[in-house]
Amino acid sequence: MIRPLEHIIIPLGLIAVGGLLGWSFFLAVTGEAGERLAAVALARVPDSGVSNPVTSVLLNFRAYDTLLELAVLLAALLGIWSLGAAAPGFQPAASVLDGMVNGFVPLLILSAGYMLWVGAYAPGGAFQAGALLGSAGVMLALAGHRNAGLPSEGRLRLLVALGVFVFAMTGLLLMVVGDGFLTYPPSLAKWLILLIETAATLSIGATLAAAYLGGRPAARPTTGETA
Amino acid sequence: MMIDALPLSVTLPLIGAFAVTVSPGHARGPGLLAALLTAASALSVTAAVWSDGVLRADLGGWGVPLGIALEADGLSAAFLAMANVVALAISVYAGGYFKQESARHFWPLWLLLWSALNGLFLATDLFNLYVTLELLGLSAAALGALTGTREAVAANLRYLLVGLLGSMSYLLGVALVYAAYGVLDIGLVAEAIEPGPIAWTAMALMIGGLILKAALFPMHFWLPPAHANAPAPVSAALSALVVKAAFYLALRLWLDVFAPVLNEAAANLLGTLGAAAVVWGSWRALRAERLKLLAAYSTVAQMGYLFIAFPLLVATPPGLARDNLLAAVVLLALTHGLAKAGLFLAAGMVQKTAGHDRIDDLGGAAQALPAATFAIGLAGVALIGLPPSGTFLAKWMMLEQAMILGLWWWLVVMMIGTLLAAAYIFRVLSRAFNREPTPYRFVNDARTELPALLLGLIATFGLGIAAQPLWVLLEQGAFG
Repeated sequence: MIRPLEHIIIPLGLIAVGGLLGWSFFLAVTGEAGERLAAVALARVPDSGVSNPVTSVLLNFRAYDTLLELAVLLAALLGIWSLGAAAPGFQPAASVLDGMVNGFVPLLILSAGYMLWVGAYAPGGAFQAGALLGSAGVMLALAGHRNAGLPSEGRLRLLVALGVFVFAMTGLLLMVVGDGFLTYPPSLAKWLILLIETAATLSIGATLAAAYLGGRPAARPTTGETA
Repeated sequence: MMIDALPLSVTLPLIGAFAVTVSPGHARGPGLLAALLTAASALSVTAAVWSDGVLRADLGGWGVPLGIALEADGLSAAFLAMANVVALAISVYAGGYFKQESARHFWPLWLLLWSALNGLFLATDLFNLYVTLELLGLSAAALGALTGTREAVAANLRYLLVGLLGSMSYLLGVALVYAAYGVLDIGLVAEAIEPGPIAWTAMALMIGGLILKAALFPMHFWLPPAHANAPAPVSAALSALVVKAAFYLALRLWLDVFAPVLNEAAANLLGTLGAAAVVWGSWRALRAERLKLLAAYSTVAQMGYLFIAFPLLVATPPGLARDNLLAAVVLLALTHGLAKAGLFLAAGMVQKTAGHDRIDDLGGAAQALPAATFAIGLAGVALIGLPPSGTFLAKWMMLEQAMILGLWWWLVVMMIGTLLAAAYIFRVLSRAFNREPTPYRFVNDARTELPALLLGLIATFGLGIAAQPLWVLLEQGAFG
């Protein structure tokens, strides 16, 4: 028996989507490459306070986009939390895995700090550093650590919302002192970007690890566990 | 010291969201404070556009094309004002509606949604608009699932996925525009764009993604279950504001970006889908068994009217008639926003008091909840389009223009939709009265009933009798 939805409509829809994607790709590749913004951006990188062009776009030229992207991450995590408590975690790991995790996690945290700092002049920055921190959390969760090594709910809430807060407050304070919203004075640009990136790294790392747990963190640690 | 209300309208709710995330146990006070400040700042933007003309802010001081700008012209100011009045009313209502546990989740997500709305109405950058769409879609789906029932979670998961598909389609269009023209600012793209396969494909992708989000027939399938199963204040926000934001963006792109590449076929397609939405949505609303499902299907129908305006706009030559038509469409969207929010808030009150929202068992609701029933009646007047509501004026002008252009079939559709709307509204009102005598008290719970009542009053009387200011506002950059 032919079921129209499964056998006709969905396949036809998928073929149409595939055709559209192929057509868009064809248009983008064959169209003459006009003047784009990379040249404009590269010319202004020296004024941005950092020498890594990607960081200067994300944290200076288009910082407002990045602020809203941090808000998107926060919304995603709050959405996950609103759906219920996290599933019970994994069994505590045996000694080999536990030993490996104990060795890796400090290294990941150290690399996150390095990534954050190096983002000013080489590939790196808040998102990469946050991803490393988040992966440290995922490792801890896999090895059976409760709450992926994250702090209690009160402090965790502060941590995940910190990035948005520091970013938005920096923007507003700059506006209040007369420079304009998110308009860094050139002498302070480097340090303001570092401040925002530090807060963003902590938030991104905590958000990713908390999202991996898949629900609201448990209220109290159960007995017989080491953190 | 210099305060720029444009970034403030987006940033204040973000700061508020931080405050209520950090202290979830005491979310209501800071939440309401943030709501009040946000609404004040957004309304000051509208007031400034009204008196001084178009406002613009170059964030980061780089200017376009490198940086991102925010801009408020008449069109954005009008939607901004409606959205913030409705959002403030919803916040007051929510303060009394949500209990301890759900309030913890409601306030942060609600303020993030509000920030996305204001950001969307003020944005001028195609990529920045994508970010606001993502924030809007994520927070809306999470809020819609707050009741925690199986139906609500399933419906809102579908809503989230459909919304993501819409955003992806929009983003693909943006990528094409950037690949071809190398700029993202709406004004610069409009200068560079020229008819050709790239512009047509980008238009189809971007507007296609947006009509998915605006629930235009036949892409409306996700809306009724998602809106009907959400908590009442969230339903109000989803129906009145979130789908309206997608419509606003489609209209904005249509008017400002794709004006040089438009053709009648695309407009007629949108209009035809709109006409189908009017008939189908109204019919399903008439057949709905639950009050909130009725309101949700009525949203499908009302979104249809807005898209009928596209073929009329294309067919009308620039000039006074076109300006009036555009203002009529905006008036229709604003009135529907206020009326539908009022209807959902009142329906939530009925549901909370009666324990259900089955239309057939509403007997005595008018006696038990006079204010809520009155609010439903007022919202109904605006949804049908009876005088003196804004809808009446807007529909009248659209009908008149359709007649002048000789496009009589749009006229027939709008008449049918209006008759069906009258039928479904009177079906509710007739059930709400029974022989039980003497109202006890007109207002039973001021915090939840007054916002609904006020929204109904503004929709019916405010925007109808005092619609003139909208024309003044839209003269600021929106009329061509």
